[in-house]
Amino acid sequence: MRPTGIAIALCAALAGCGGGEAPAPPAPEPAAPAAPANPETPSLDLAALQASSEARATLVPSPIETQNALEAIGVDASLAKLVPTRTFDLTKAESDHIAIRTGVVLADTLLTLTSADKDTLIARLDQVRTGLAALKAGADLDGQLAQMIDGVRGDAITRGELLKQFDDLSGAVIPELEFEGNTRIVPLIQAGSWLSGANLVAKAVQAAGNPSGSDSLLKQPGVVSYFLTYVKAQGADKAPPQVTAHLQTSLETLQGLATKAEPLTPADIATVIQVTDDVVGLL
Amino acid sequence: MLTALFASLLATASTNEAETCLRAKVWESYAEGWGVRTLTSTELESGKTRNYVVNLLKGNEYRIATCGDDKMVNLDVLLYDANGVIVSRDSTTDREPSISFRPPETGSYYVVLYAKEIAKSPAAAAMAVIYK
Repeated sequence: MRPTGIAIALCAALAGCGGGEAPAPPAPEPAAPAAPANPETPSLDLAALQASSEARATLVPSPIETQNALEAIGVDASLAKLVPTRTFDLTKAESDHIAIRTGVVLADTLLTLTSADKDTLIARLDQVRTGLAALKAGADLDGQLAQMIDGVRGDAITRGELLKQFDDLSGAVIPELEFEGNTRIVPLIQAGSWLSGANLVAKAVQAAGNPSGSDSLLKQPGVVSYFLTYVKAQGADKAPPQVTAHLQTSLETLQGLATKAEPLTPADIATVIQVTDDVVGLL
Repeated sequence: MLTALFASLLATASTNEAETCLRAKVWESYAEGWGVRTLTSTELESGKTRNYVVNLLKGNEYRIATCGDDKMVNLDVLLYDANGVIVSRDSTTDREPSISFRPPETGSYYVVLYAKEIAKSPAAAAMAVIYK
């Protein structure tokens, strides 16, 4: 069959029918240059670390961590047995004041969670709940605490399970809360817990007659300095001057001991007990 | 406005994915006698770090556990001492590294989360400090 005129024209337009040179395929687009691999180690020196590191959620050891470390230095004392009965009012005060009190009760609860009798545990959990509600921690947290209290009351939760939940709440949940934008609340809760822990550690060490062993527990200048930053900060909801002044004085005394080159002496331990008793007594 | 809200929701979802992964690990570790100091999360661009200061107590063993979300390819975790010297780091190329450390002395250390390689910025990462 002979090609028609239209077919011939099409072939010509397409530059050849059979036997002709095929057009060169379009050149592939140049590949985007691969991003250079990041270095094996980030470029960070001490100054950069100090300037950029966050402290709020990570810096302060928990009371149970402190109990573990106390056992590691050979002081076989249960901090739980040293926890006194407290009669804090966790509603009628400024938010700073409530935050410190709540921190103290939080530490008490953690330390005694597996050993306290049912009524005492419920009372402590209820105090924590009241304090956090007064600090406007939010409905989710309040619900969690209500469930814990109900679980203890109805024997529906083991102490081991409760410890996990409360440890998580104390260490992971509370430090991430906003407390309606009041940035001092979390550090002051932590300060209350830490001061209470330092007080109990000092008493345990004094009873065991092992003052120098407690250097690793009571010499924490970074932690004390972090608390001082917030205690010295100005704010509308600051606790009464007698409380903040005592707190600042106590922390500065602890800071002095924390930076002492020599091992702590029995007199130093007595000082720790006195200044922390003074603060907690004012709460 | 809506775009910003959508981006914020996506970021939250991504951070939640990393946190959910890590929370499961932390809860498993309770059975082995570990306790939790903290669990926190963040977002990272490629090659960037997020740094945290931690006070570690002599006598405890610590583990820094992490999880990246599905946009993270290689997350690294490093521990620096108070002099800025690396004392521990992971050697893996995945997105869930962890390191263990027994501090020879009580003091300040720095945990660094490093987005060594990510598929898409920003990627989310969660970090927990656990102890026993």
